Amino acid sequence: MIRTPRASALAATVALLAAAACSDGGDDVPVGGEEAGSGGTFVAAISAQPDQLDPHQTTAYASFQVLENVYDTLVVPNPDDLTFEPSLATDWETSEDGLTWTFTLRDDVTFHDGSELDSADVVYTFRRIIDEELQNAYRFATVEDVRAPDPTTVEFVLSEPTPNLLDHVGSYKGVAILPEGAAEDLDLATEANGTGPFRLEDVGADGITLTAFEDYWGEGPGVDEVEFRFISEPTTALTALQTGEVHWTDNVPAQRVEELQGSGDVTVETVPSVDYWYMAVNFARPPFDRAEVREAIALALDREAIADAAQFGLARVNQTAIPEESFWYHDYAPYERDVDAARDLLAEAGVEDLTMGLMVTDEYPETVEVAQVIAANLEEVGITVDIQTEQFSTWLDRQGAGDFDAFLLGWLGNLDPYGYYHSQHVCEGENNYQGYCDPETDELLERAATEADEDARKELYDEAAERIVDANSYIYLYNPSVVQAWTDEVSGYELRPDRAINLETVTLS
Amino acid sequence: MTRYLLRRVGQSVVVLFGVSVAVFSIIHLVPGDPVRLALGTRFDQRTYDALVARAGLDDPVLVQYVNWLGNALTGDLGVSFRSGRPVTELILERLPATLSLAFGAIVVALLIAVPLGLVSALRPRSAVDYVATFVSQAGISIPDFWLAIVAILVFSLTLGWLPSSGYVGLTEDPVEWARHLVLPAVVVGTVSGAVLTRFVRSSALEALGEDYTRTARAKGLPRRVVIGRHVLRNALVPVVTVTGIQLAYLLSGVVIVEVVFAWQGLGQLALQAVETRDYPLLQGAVLLFAVFFLVVNLVVDLLYAVVDPRISR
Repeated sequence: MIRTPRASALAATVALLAAAACSDGGDDVPVGGEEAGSGGTFVAAISAQPDQLDPHQTTAYASFQVLENVYDTLVVPNPDDLTFEPSLATDWETSEDGLTWTFTLRDDVTFHDGSELDSADVVYTFRRIIDEELQNAYRFATVEDVRAPDPTTVEFVLSEPTPNLLDHVGSYKGVAILPEGAAEDLDLATEANGTGPFRLEDVGADGITLTAFEDYWGEGPGVDEVEFRFISEPTTALTALQTGEVHWTDNVPAQRVEELQGSGDVTVETVPSVDYWYMAVNFARPPFDRAEVREAIALALDREAIADAAQFGLARVNQTAIPEESFWYHDYAPYERDVDAARDLLAEAGVEDLTMGLMVTDEYPETVEVAQVIAANLEEVGITVDIQTEQFSTWLDRQGAGDFDAFLLGWLGNLDPYGYYHSQHVCEGENNYQGYCDPETDELLERAATEADEDARKELYDEAAERIVDANSYIYLYNPSVVQAWTDEVSGYELRPDRAINLETVTLS
Repeated sequence: MTRYLLRRVGQSVVVLFGVSVAVFSIIHLVPGDPVRLALGTRFDQRTYDALVARAGLDDPVLVQYVNWLGNALTGDLGVSFRSGRPVTELILERLPATLSLAFGAIVVALLIAVPLGLVSALRPRSAVDYVATFVSQAGISIPDFWLAIVAILVFSLTLGWLPSSGYVGLTEDPVEWARHLVLPAVVVGTVSGAVLTRFVRSSALEALGEDYTRTARAKGLPRRVVIGRHVLRNALVPVVTVTGIQLAYLLSGVVIVEVVFAWQGLGQLALQAVETRDYPLLQGAVLLFAVFFLVVNLVVDLLYAVVDPRISR
């Protein structure tokens, strides 16, 4: 009685599987855009699923890959030199005393639901971030008030001059402009109402779909639909790219770049990013409190080998944080590998048989790779490195508790030197886990934070950076590259050093 | 039978309660601060405090547990504090993908194991037997992620027969659903099938040596009937148990294969919950896995009664 239906269900499944395996073998998986004359569907494979889509609450890069195309900010970084240019704001000026910034808004912007953008929306956005103490509230510590004197004007009233306010209101979509009341009207974790080129259509475990917004204020969009798929395994992502199942991916292992560039069936491009990776030692733990010991470590490192281990020749050695492309770059590289000098310094400090725990995390596999090279380098000067690979949660706990000799990590997505240097190196800095404290550096960083003149500000940061490098508060290692690949059908896409994935001008052939 | 069922369900509730206490205690004992993780590398005390309060993590652990239990009893598993979405919604969203893969893989596994195990039991120490033993040994030893990558490279990249990754809903497009399911189901099914083959072979061998088989042969029953009704049926009892365990295991997600095939199943969800210390999500997922095991065990026990009528007496 039971046997028959079970057997037939089984048979049916087998038949279905068999049919599926045999069906339209030669015909590749369709990618959309079949209808003639349409802009088509652009399919992007990103390496993780966004945790949520509230721009003010998420910290996940995957979320921002999507949000970049849905929302806008007052200003945006220019992809070439990463200075800020108009977006929702056409114009801005600073008062004589630097305490009032006035932004003029575009008057032709509509949200995806058809309502028009005005200054009340901007005020609502920044009040939400500040009052609810969301992710980016720290950026607005000097903001006393955000006012809307008329529908196209927004004023920021500051407690002290904040020359990097543009960075704070525009470096990425974490400070995206929402319509007034959005957090109350919508479930922003899965819904959106932005002003960007695409509207959020569907959010699911399998992917996220965006559709073109016809009333977008800028040019484009050039495709009808964008579909994000989440493929974390690089081999799978590249296969999907090569078979044409997806048009674009950033899940490209550095060791395969050369091979893919040579193969000619996909385009692979790289550009140095604004990110940097570094090692820090714990100033609270002797002998790492001694400047000679830290300098010995800095001198022992083979930085080229480290950069190679990290990204197969795509990373660029840098002894400061900021990459060459930036206006804020400062050419300062005092360390050249010198094993003997490093040994002498250690002897001078009376340090023998030093063992250094080096905390790394498999969340960022490159730290594990880099640690091997560092261990080999330091072995040569007589320091034994104990590599401690931790889960990122444990890693962060230990970092927060000061329970480490040394660690490796990176800072991602900074554009302004305040972001690069301030909270990491001022004595009371919230991200100064290494415990570096130098009154002169503090003064330089504090002055730079409020210096309105750009050139004077750069000089202050250059000087601070030199002190930080000399004291080895951070031992800066390299700037990695952004690596992305796409098929021949894609045109109009531009790789950006800040890793923003902007699909506004992309078209498919 | 009804009383038996009721007793089993009652026991299951106690087990679930125990699981929830255990999960709750363990995840709070495991190091790792979920709020610190949610903030990423940049730390800011005010934002941190606000997030702790929003996630309800400033309450004593016992209060958190009682709150959670009260809600769970009404079917509300809480809100994932990473995604800000209800846990139930996140789980339901991924359930179809996991069910498809688990059942697909079990079908493949049985298709491999039953014929292969039976044939090698009927001809022990023959060439067929050696081949079968070798194949199942290989199936157990080959890492599934390797098999998965090879399958993608061969069937998607080189031959272009099947899509490399992703899941399409059965209701959305049945043909695409099946096309996307084939590779992951075959990879997972091969590994499970290899395990099952050995069980089928050894229990069939055992049944072949039993007195009733000899009697059935002696009274002149056709070979087909002897094997079909006497040997296979008795050999199935342990196989049903192992298949059940395999199924429950597959339902709790096959993380690595899911990752390789970008298959958005429960395994990846649970893994993310662990990595981000998303307590509500992790609790919900583990509870669901416990339910899977209980239900599968119950079904297996009921199937025993069907396969072997003596048990239900």
